[in-house]
Amino acid sequence: MKKFYLMLVLLVGLAVLAACSSGDEEASGGSSAEGAGSADTITAWAWDPAFNIAALEKAKEAYNGDGDFEVKIIENAQDDIIQKLNTGLSSGTTKGMPNIVLIEDYRAQSFLQAYPDAFHPLTDVINPEDFADYKIATTSHNGEQYGLPFDSGVAGLYVRTDYLEQAGYTAEDLTNITWDEYIEIGKKVKEATGKNMLTLDPNDLGQIRMMIQTNGSWYVKEDGSTPNLAGNETLAKAFETYKKMMDADIGKIVSDWSQFVGAFNSGDVASVPTGNWITPSIKQEAEQSGKWAVVPMPRLDMEGAVNASNLGGSSWYILNVDGKEEAADFMLNTFGSNADLYQTLVKDIGALGTYSAAAEGDAYAVEDEFFGGQQIITDFSKWTDEIPGVNYGLHTYAIEDILVTGMQDYLKGTELTKVLENVQGQAEAQLK
Amino acid sequence: MKNIKRVFIYVFLSLAAIVSIFPFLWMLVSITNKSSDVTKGRLLPGTHLIENMTTLFESVDIVPALVNSTIIAVITTVVTLLLASLAGYGFEIHRSRGKDIVFNILLLSMMIPFAAIMVPLYRMFGSISDTAPLFGIDSLGAVILPTATTAFFIFFFRQNTKMFPKDLVEAGRIDGLSEIGVFFRIYMPTMKTTYAAAAIITFMNSWNNYLWPLVILQSPEKRTIPLLISNLGSSYSPDYGVIMSAIVIATLPTALVFFLMQKHFVAGMMGSVKG
Amino acid sequence: MNQQATKKDELDLPLRYKETRREKTGVFFKKKVGWLFVIVSVIAITIFNFYPMVQAFLLSFQSGMGSNLEYVGLANWQRLFGDPTFIAALTNTSIYLLIQVPLMIVLALFFSVLLNDPNLKFKGFFRIAIFLPCVTSLVAYSVIFKYLFGVDGIINVFLLKFGFISETINFLADPFWAKVVIILAITWRWTGYNMIFYLAALQNVDKSIYEAAKIDGANSIQQFFQITVPMLKPIILFTSITSTIGTLQIFDEIVNITNGGPGNATISISQYIYNLSFEYTPDFGYASTVSYVIVILVVILSIIQFRVAGEKK
Repeated sequence: MKKFYLMLVLLVGLAVLAACSSGDEEASGGSSAEGAGSADTITAWAWDPAFNIAALEKAKEAYNGDGDFEVKIIENAQDDIIQKLNTGLSSGTTKGMPNIVLIEDYRAQSFLQAYPDAFHPLTDVINPEDFADYKIATTSHNGEQYGLPFDSGVAGLYVRTDYLEQAGYTAEDLTNITWDEYIEIGKKVKEATGKNMLTLDPNDLGQIRMMIQTNGSWYVKEDGSTPNLAGNETLAKAFETYKKMMDADIGKIVSDWSQFVGAFNSGDVASVPTGNWITPSIKQEAEQSGKWAVVPMPRLDMEGAVNASNLGGSSWYILNVDGKEEAADFMLNTFGSNADLYQTLVKDIGALGTYSAAAEGDAYAVEDEFFGGQQIITDFSKWTDEIPGVNYGLHTYAIEDILVTGMQDYLKGTELTKVLENVQGQAEAQLK
Repeated sequence: MKNIKRVFIYVFLSLAAIVSIFPFLWMLVSITNKSSDVTKGRLLPGTHLIENMTTLFESVDIVPALVNSTIIAVITTVVTLLLASLAGYGFEIHRSRGKDIVFNILLLSMMIPFAAIMVPLYRMFGSISDTAPLFGIDSLGAVILPTATTAFFIFFFRQNTKMFPKDLVEAGRIDGLSEIGVFFRIYMPTMKTTYAAAAIITFMNSWNNYLWPLVILQSPEKRTIPLLISNLGSSYSPDYGVIMSAIVIATLPTALVFFLMQKHFVAGMMGSVKG
Repeated sequence: MNQQATKKDELDLPLRYKETRREKTGVFFKKKVGWLFVIVSVIAITIFNFYPMVQAFLLSFQSGMGSNLEYVGLANWQRLFGDPTFIAALTNTSIYLLIQVPLMIVLALFFSVLLNDPNLKFKGFFRIAIFLPCVTSLVAYSVIFKYLFGVDGIINVFLLKFGFISETINFLADPFWAKVVIILAITWRWTGYNMIFYLAALQNVDKSIYEAAKIDGANSIQQFFQITVPMLKPIILFTSITSTIGTLQIFDEIVNITNGGPGNATISISQYIYNLSFEYTPDFGYASTVSYVIVILVVILSIIQFRVAGEKK
């Protein structure tokens, strides 16, 4: 029987050894395992190599502070970052956590409130007034500024000027219009060209989010947690407008991101109302150069609504782990105060920040041939300042999942007040 | 009559094969197309194969991820097969009431969704990170350990052992083999196809495992293939041509393992051993 | 370890005592040697599965955002019954289970018998073709499924052309059809996976039994039901239990094809657990409670399946 033991121990041991040695070999590349632990290396997590990661690389080059540390930039998909952060922070293990992390604005309050001591306040580090106003409510909590506002999710209406022309319109005719006017134009465009005006994804209410923010409203009240659905006139108006679009039959139904991108790449739609970060995807189809323009977002037909909105956008956060001072120093001397860096970001990667002083620079004034020579960055940055600020609060995605069901009911004929009361009830039940 | 039946079988299998293979073929076509053609659902081959491959091997650097995934999958497969077959054999051949109870309790461990035990598991590996860094957070050891021991394959081996002719065990004992000798000299060779099936499935599970490697691994140089592919899709303007190329490359090893192993599925092998 | 157990061992292995070499070590050793085979696995599973499971169980009595958890007693369990999303997820998952698992098991068994025929040509090709879906990446096949079942997708074009329908069906936006697509997708992906277990097990069936049956004049359908099915019973039990577990925990297909929509028409329990933990402001306590609903369901269904298979006394 000794042989049995021996075999077993040997085999298991061998396997384990193999695992270790390979791990060892791989690890020798960097001190990453202790990443957050050592102050001579600070780690940063972000998503999108062409955008946020590239921005971090530029920041690393531009850093001119006194700190002597290495910045290690790690790319993870956004959903992956959310899972890793939640798992790490809720386990109470700071091991393996980064120093700097990018968090989407819609989710920021969840993280700040769910893990109270996990983030390092930047109140004394940066001046919130240097940044676009609308970013502040969502990046601060309990009177402390936690986030360093980064990219602008400022939205615009990308239009195909050639299709508009066929229907007898110019981009000018779509500038500063209401959604109702947009729908009327959409019908004419469809008549003239056979093309749909836009894409609609019944499972993604980004469209609704953009609409209600034009009037400074959100799914939750100002406290950030009480659902604000029943009796929310702005939301009701947005629902009505959405239904009008469906009834007017000007929307091409898509069911995911690749179909959304595919629709405008193949010229199936006459306009794309979305965040400015879509620009690279629009430009991907080089043959369409010169056929596009960007105009301000249509507004809801309501008193007080403006022609500026937001979709997505994110900000930098510093975790309360060893190396936080270094990380704060790095952020202050790059994204926190360096206007030139923002020029580089616009010029080299097309990333539009929310640091107000940067808008003065030349890079913002550049004329984009793809958009018929329009100064799109200047326009976007002008609109950024007009976005009504709202506190996105804790439950954007949870409520949206409930709203998606409500929207289905509404489109099928249920009365709107009833739908909104219904979703209000569900949201209150679920978000205890 | 017999011929009609044959024809029917071939037609049926061919239809099933077409339905099964179609998405795979589309993937193969997609690696030759540029991103915007992939999103349009283009079915014809394009001219972007070289660009896609260059991006994948140069800027994305897929090779280290392939190496990591291979190391993890091979070790996981070997450890799982050994431990699970020993246990499955033990539970069935040396059956006792106590072991039956333990076995039933073990089955319970398959029933909870992994997401529910992930946080405690992460805390556990976090707490040993300092004393045993080779099994701590960000180690390949930590990826392998929880996945290499599963009740699933113990159950699988036990059910197959029920079909194993028990008199072979006795024959072995009479020949003077030790208990472990019976296992290695008689059971293992006889159950070759069972091992082959288990190898295919463990390899595939490990190769495609996503959630656990995602949370436990931190450094980019330790990343596995599914994590790399997830990153490729993370951009605001994903390059679907490159993503498809990565997916095709990621699919080949499992398909290869299957192809090599399925050759062992030869009808009536057991009968001949028993001869 | 009591007397009865020892007795059973003796009955199971009557030849055991003919052995002489072993008698020195005594009955004690013989009883214990079996444990040596299983001990490593038992310890490992205890550490890596049961310990975290106990922690998750404790969590199911707590609630709160992220790390602000506090004990709430049975409140989470009460919350379940008033939570419309949970009820939708439970209903959908049960529908998937009832339709998809039997369908898949029968198909897999059928394929494996066909593909086990030694006279079949291109066996390797057909086998790999049917196995391919389970290695085909989800990203690819969800894109394909969405195209196939899109408003202007191939399926609609086909159905229109042959007059089965008069106007296109928006499969993924319709609560009924979206469920059908999900069931097709799961079946498509996992049939080949289950086929492997049967293919392997079929090699362990003695060929001579079939020869004997043939001489007795049994046709292939009779052979299938009278020999193949009874012989493969342990594996059929294995695949039905593991498929039940798999379907109750179904996640990837749904997230990738419909993301739970339209509305909550296709959401599964596992997707809801994921949403509660990561998509929304995290409540790991309530998520654990929902996870234990899966555990309870699987335990009940497994006991029933063991009983039906007659493996338990």
